[in-house]
Amino acid sequence: MNGLNEKLLAAHEREDTHALIGLYETAADQSNDFTERSFFLTHAFVYALEKGDCQADLLHGRLREMGRI
Amino acid sequence: MATDLSGVLRPVAKANGLPNEHYVDDRIFMEERDAVLFKSWSGVGVTADVPEPGDAKPIEFLGMPLLLIRDKDGDIRVFQNTCRHRGMILVAEPKKIEGAIRCPYHSWCYSTKGKLVATPHVGGPGMNTHEDMPKSDLGLIEVPSHIWLGVIYVNVSGTAAPFEDVHAELLERWKEFDVPLHHGGEDSTFTLDVQTNWKLAVENYCESYHLPWVHPGLNSYSRLEDHYNIEEYGQYSGQGTLVYRQLEGQMGERFPDFPNLSDKWDTGGEYITVYPNVLLGVQRDHAFAIILEPKAVDRTIEHIHLFYAEPKVDEALRAKNATQWKTVFQEDVFVVEGMQKGRNGHGFDGGRFSPAMDVPTHCFHDWVARQLIDHRQRVAAE
Repeated sequence: MNGLNEKLLAAHEREDTHALIGLYETAADQSNDFTERSFFLTHAFVYALEKGDCQADLLHGRLREMGRI
Repeated sequence: MATDLSGVLRPVAKANGLPNEHYVDDRIFMEERDAVLFKSWSGVGVTADVPEPGDAKPIEFLGMPLLLIRDKDGDIRVFQNTCRHRGMILVAEPKKIEGAIRCPYHSWCYSTKGKLVATPHVGGPGMNTHEDMPKSDLGLIEVPSHIWLGVIYVNVSGTAAPFEDVHAELLERWKEFDVPLHHGGEDSTFTLDVQTNWKLAVENYCESYHLPWVHPGLNSYSRLEDHYNIEEYGQYSGQGTLVYRQLEGQMGERFPDFPNLSDKWDTGGEYITVYPNVLLGVQRDHAFAIILEPKAVDRTIEHIHLFYAEPKVDEALRAKNATQWKTVFQEDVFVVEGMQKGRNGHGFDGGRFSPAMDVPTHCFHDWVARQLIDHRQRVAAE
């Protein structure tokens, strides 16, 4: 998570929303905690929604399956 | 605080203009905001402000934050630029909305049609719904809007009759110009920041009486007797010319005409105020809009836009035309600023109107007064 955290901070710093989508999804995939996973997926979903990224539907589906949306 | 408007409602020959307070008193300015500018269809921008789907432009109209946006289907909408969550301004500067409008505070997201589409963590970390937060109830607040001749009008109060009904006669009068108007682009728009009450800009625009004195350059071909009054009480007013002369370039080139115009427009031009705050001009080969943005009781920003019959017209001629109009409109500045200063004279009684030359101006005063009286009666009844 250490390297990922730095990448997330850097992506936030340069307002690279496209990168944030993937990084937050990766963070979710690396987490074993249900709440933490849904937290990161939520961020990935919101940024995908903002950019009109095709990942938005997939992320929405994952959150729905988790009962988080 | 209520001013005496009875003198305004007399026939033009006996009428006085609006009392001084309507030009210098902040309380009356706010009353006119509610009674006149918010209650009517006011101009706030042009369609060229948001030319492509997803384009969003935040504006402020009399203190109200609004968002002009062209939705994914290409329709222009106007929303209150305020998140339904904690009231944060949603969009701070013009931008392209690629997917959703994301509030920069807690990231609530809205579609370009105003629908609330995401409420992250609203039910706790990673829980994005809550039974007491139905998205269907919390979309952006849309302000009724209407597009006509390239101008975006809004009715902030939401109480006005449809634009097509309110302005039916004007739409009929100018139906020949209800064709695609093409904004001339960046070199065809400019603003004038004027130290005057917004109504004085309307008043000056409505009449041709001042032309030979304030715009002497027009005298050579456009004499006072070549103009006529346009005065439709309760609706609109302005002036027309019988001798509009097309601008020509060095090689005799001209702008293309709007299609299928009747003979009237061969040498005709008309300049009308769409009450309350949009000054429009139409001629055979171009049109313009001046949107008055009231900033304070004694300050108005004039947003000027020029439109043509085709998307690409001669660049040099376009620049020449913009310069010509800017010169004319700048010539009016000392007049509207001078009248503003004059309204601080305590003995001034609103002034009188020439029964022959000032009827369009009185027509506007009469309309404003009636909006105010109606508003005061409603407030008193509540």
